[in-house]
Amino acid sequence: MAAAMAARLCLKGAESLLRPRALPGVVVPVRGRRKWPRVPEWARELSAEEKEWRLRSAAPIFPDERMERTFFLACTAEIMDPYVPPEGDARLTSLSKDGVKQQMQKLRQTAASQLALRKIKDHDPDFSTKTFPEKAQEIFIEAHNSLANFNKQKLHSLVTERCYPDMVRGNRYKTIRWRFVESLEPPRVVHVRCEGLLNRGNLYGQVTVRMHSRQILAIYDRFGRLMYGGEEIPKDVLEYVVFERYLVNPYGTWRMHGKIIPEWAPPKDPIIKTVMIPGPAPDPS
Amino acid sequence: MAARWALGAGAAWARGLLSWARPERWLASGSLFPLSCIHTSTSLQKIGKWEKKNRIVYPPQLPGEPRRPAEIYHCRREIKYSKDKMWYLAKLIKGMSIDQALAQLEFSDKKGAKVIKEVLLEAQEMAVRKHNVEFKSNLHIAESQTGRGRYVKRLRCHGKGMFGMMRISRCHYFVKLVEGPPPPPEPPKTGFDQAKEYVQQLRNRTLVHTL
Repeated sequence: MAAAMAARLCLKGAESLLRPRALPGVVVPVRGRRKWPRVPEWARELSAEEKEWRLRSAAPIFPDERMERTFFLACTAEIMDPYVPPEGDARLTSLSKDGVKQQMQKLRQTAASQLALRKIKDHDPDFSTKTFPEKAQEIFIEAHNSLANFNKQKLHSLVTERCYPDMVRGNRYKTIRWRFVESLEPPRVVHVRCEGLLNRGNLYGQVTVRMHSRQILAIYDRFGRLMYGGEEIPKDVLEYVVFERYLVNPYGTWRMHGKIIPEWAPPKDPIIKTVMIPGPAPDPS
Repeated sequence: MAARWALGAGAAWARGLLSWARPERWLASGSLFPLSCIHTSTSLQKIGKWEKKNRIVYPPQLPGEPRRPAEIYHCRREIKYSKDKMWYLAKLIKGMSIDQALAQLEFSDKKGAKVIKEVLLEAQEMAVRKHNVEFKSNLHIAESQTGRGRYVKRLRCHGKGMFGMMRISRCHYFVKLVEGPPPPPEPPKTGFDQAKEYVQQLRNRTLVHTL
């Protein structure tokens, strides 16, 4: 009996040791599988604020990382308001209905070009329509040379991201030989546009330069066989090349953005090999 | 107080451990990631030597040189077939023109014939589109080889609780197509040729280290 009483007392004492009465505001570690958030009975009537405070202090929940990626638009995706080259350029001019229409368009384009030119000069005071075409031609020649040498870093700095895949597609296992022989007419600025993307202030300037030049192009395939063009065949080429610059960026440079191919341009030479174009399946009837 | 801190820290540590195991971070495409340093493309898998042979670029030929014939390498990996059984088909089509090879494989009863036919058609398509081959029939098979794939051991149950280990065998198939008509077959060696060779060997004998 006495032993039982002593045992019970001991048990009680042990119980009080095992489960000590905790002071309010202190989380008591309890043995056994932890299932949190543990809310002791005396804490269930607390207000919402205190409950939140207890939860936060017990197990701080870190908010998930925001899946954000900053991107930087270094170039526009297209040529804004493309220049329409007059029909019969670099050939004998013909007085036709289309010619008159294009002349009318030309006047409208000139007015907008002057506005855009003024905006560009605000951001870049060194810009001038007299000196720019030579620089543009240099950029053009450098870009094509680095394309022939597969110098990707230099090509990225001379050509915008929109133009790069157009230039580089399909060239991976081919050898390209390109040479600029001479310029038949001095290049000149034909068209200027300046617009913003997303914001009104986010300005990109696009300048179209007309170049008439003689070039040599030869493309060899993987095995060194000639695919297109020739090493000794210079071709006269009339091109309208668009250059772009991110005006708001102080480190922006003028880079090649694309070419405008008019509808009246003469068709390109065919490639040397013959290609089979599968036609419709023949009908037995 | 210390206990409470330990509890909090422990939970945070566990959360920190498991935070990398979120399934959305394991997406295959690389464009959805905020961190661009994670390498998600397939270039970490090993590219076989046969596939790399399609990447060599020859320098441009001078106008006087004879035209270099195009060579196209193609292969298929881990075909569920035995390499020894596949070898018979590979030996059959070695040296044939591609049309003849396709015809033979179409009417062969073996399982591997269907696979090899697909491989040849793929290679032909690749040749015309990417490797500047002009006529798709102007190809012949220069090399065709089989290789051992990864074998896997599995249990094969017999009666009375007995079992054996069986091998699931896979093979690779390699083919090299070359542009041009197939080379003419070598004429069989006649006795006369052998005799000529023997006589020539006798004539080639000489004395060494003499005056």
